[in-house]
Amino acid sequence: MTVVPTLEPSDEALASRAAAGDDHAFETIVRRYQARVYRLASRLTSETDAPDVLQDTFLQVHRHLPAFRGDSRFGTWLYRIATNAGLMHRRTRARRPAESLDAFLPTFDATGTHCGTPEQLRVVSEADERIDRQVLAGKARDGLARLPDLYREAFVLRDLEEIPTAEVAEVLGIEPAAVRQRVHRARLLLRGYLQDVIGGRS
Amino acid sequence: MTETACVSGLELLVDYLEGLLPAPTVAAIEGHVAGCQRCQAFIASYNATPRIMREATDTPLPATVQTSLIDWLRKKRGT
Repeated sequence: MTVVPTLEPSDEALASRAAAGDDHAFETIVRRYQARVYRLASRLTSETDAPDVLQDTFLQVHRHLPAFRGDSRFGTWLYRIATNAGLMHRRTRARRPAESLDAFLPTFDATGTHCGTPEQLRVVSEADERIDRQVLAGKARDGLARLPDLYREAFVLRDLEEIPTAEVAEVLGIEPAAVRQRVHRARLLLRGYLQDVIGGRS
Repeated sequence: MTETACVSGLELLVDYLEGLLPAPTVAAIEGHVAGCQRCQAFIASYNATPRIMREATDTPLPATVQTSLIDWLRKKRGT
């Protein structure tokens, strides 16, 4: 008996068919990406707002598919739409300004040496043993919400969704060096915040 | 991160971790970190931060949202 391998159509092939009016192709794209877009949306906004961002994203994907020319990967194009949808959602929400995390940046003494003991400085890498998982989940979301938008977008895409730096640069329309700097600032702020949450404030 | 100061290397850390720095700068950083317990601890926690945040904010798509999304999109598209 000959086994015929079944090949999944590429994103680009599906996009081309969907743009020509093939609803089945469009729904295949939705099913392929919905979990990733939902997770991205929940990280960029909140779990409460993520369903709305998810809807907005795929509605815009459907509307703009005829304009997708394949200049970038389909996934990159879709992440750009989802990231913008998340940002627009945050901006249209009446929110009080998030409390800055700047107080959690690393500090140094007069000789340029890290303040705090090695045990305090290391505590974040021991989070799994030191803090309840549910508590950590709540605090992590709070920390993300308190990041400036520019840092949050870069950090979520690069470090949480694990998209390569060059692709994040394309999604955000900035240089890779700018992505690295924004991700670095986010890591510094969140590292210090988590250190404080877990109990290693120096 | 020259001979002694932890602060000197802070802004170089991300480029160091991505392998983008010239060899002399890498040698200076590694020379300092090898003898600095605070920097070793700081870098360990800096490196752990993305993983901690990733695991703590991982949110599966609820089945109800999955179903309602397809239905909602069909209505919007009039199919």
